[in-house]
Amino acid sequence: MNDNRPLSPHLSIHKKILTAVFSIFHRLTGFGLSIGSIFIAGWIAMISLGPNYFIIFQSISSFFVFKIFLFIWTLGIFFHLFNGIRYLYWSFGIGMELKTINNSGYLVILLTILSTIIVWMTV
Amino acid sequence: MVQFTLPANSKVVEGCIYQNKDQNILLKKLKIYRWDPEKQENPRLDTYEIDQKKCGPMVLDALIKIKDEIDTTLTFRRSCREGVCGSCAMNIDGINTLACIKPMNEIKNEIKVYPLPHMKVVKDLVPDLSEAYKQLESIKPWIEKDPETRNDKVHLKKRERKQTPENRAKLDGKWECILCFCCTTSCPSYWWNGDKYLGPAVLLQASRWINDTRDSRRKERLKEIDDSFKLYRCHSIMNCTQSCPKGLNPAKEIAEIKKAIVTEK
Repeated sequence: MNDNRPLSPHLSIHKKILTAVFSIFHRLTGFGLSIGSIFIAGWIAMISLGPNYFIIFQSISSFFVFKIFLFIWTLGIFFHLFNGIRYLYWSFGIGMELKTINNSGYLVILLTILSTIIVWMTV
Repeated sequence: MVQFTLPANSKVVEGCIYQNKDQNILLKKLKIYRWDPEKQENPRLDTYEIDQKKCGPMVLDALIKIKDEIDTTLTFRRSCREGVCGSCAMNIDGINTLACIKPMNEIKNEIKVYPLPHMKVVKDLVPDLSEAYKQLESIKPWIEKDPETRNDKVHLKKRERKQTPENRAKLDGKWECILCFCCTTSCPSYWWNGDKYLGPAVLLQASRWINDTRDSRRKERLKEIDDSFKLYRCHSIMNCTQSCPKGLNPAKEIAEIKKAIVTEK
């Protein structure tokens, strides 16, 4: 056998299919949420440390970049939640037909945006 | 191992352009992956211009026309030309499919043709499928009977293994697979773990034999496949279902295998 055989192109030439994009974003948000939760826990823990630390808590909270971070965090958490429910259904073999897989994906996007807006309008 | 970029010897370079200067033609451009094992060169992307008026409607028709009239060195597999043999599986316009049943008119601009993704290339559009075939063999794609019943003399007299229409219906959506490996080679999980993960095509076959009521090894088959790499590298990415040229649903069948393993323990 010829060992010099090249590997055919894969990621660079294959079409990015919606369900595949959802899958990789599910992983990315999962990773981001687990790292982010450490920081969020630290941010909230400042309140319990007493009045001196409350000033730090307040200054972080009023920081604009932090608000953007928190907004993306909210998007991530809702995407991961709704897409996770979608995957749970798939584990039972429900909704895996070609017609429904994309529609449930759009539903996840819709629910994610709606929930994020509701959360940010109420706080 | 996950490696997102291609190795140095696999990087694709621009190749030759075969222009068509005839007047009054319906021009269609095809960009085709080429690699010659006898030359120490990188793969290249050759451009061919053909007249669609003088060519059949499918991508395979164009490939045959190019081989006949423009470049005889172009190499690809083909046989039945009607989507039942699975030989001409390749990546056309970013999606794995059979060249013989993919109409050229479905692709607006130039048609990019690559071999099945993340496979060792034998020549041009011909990938090496020997590893995938070995994986297929590993799931024992044939009926297996218990040794007792096999040696049973009464059983030997009645050799025919009958199946009720209801039991036969359990194989629908599974037996139709033609093993073209369009699904397996579209799966990112198979790209990164193809040495250990069986991939959608082989798992669909596994499900075909697990659900055959004439087989007496259902439990053992489920046990053999219950492996974090063989089966559980499937993360429901669903590329397989969306590229199957026969309209089958490997992802769903894999989910059913996972379900059977949990519920029948």
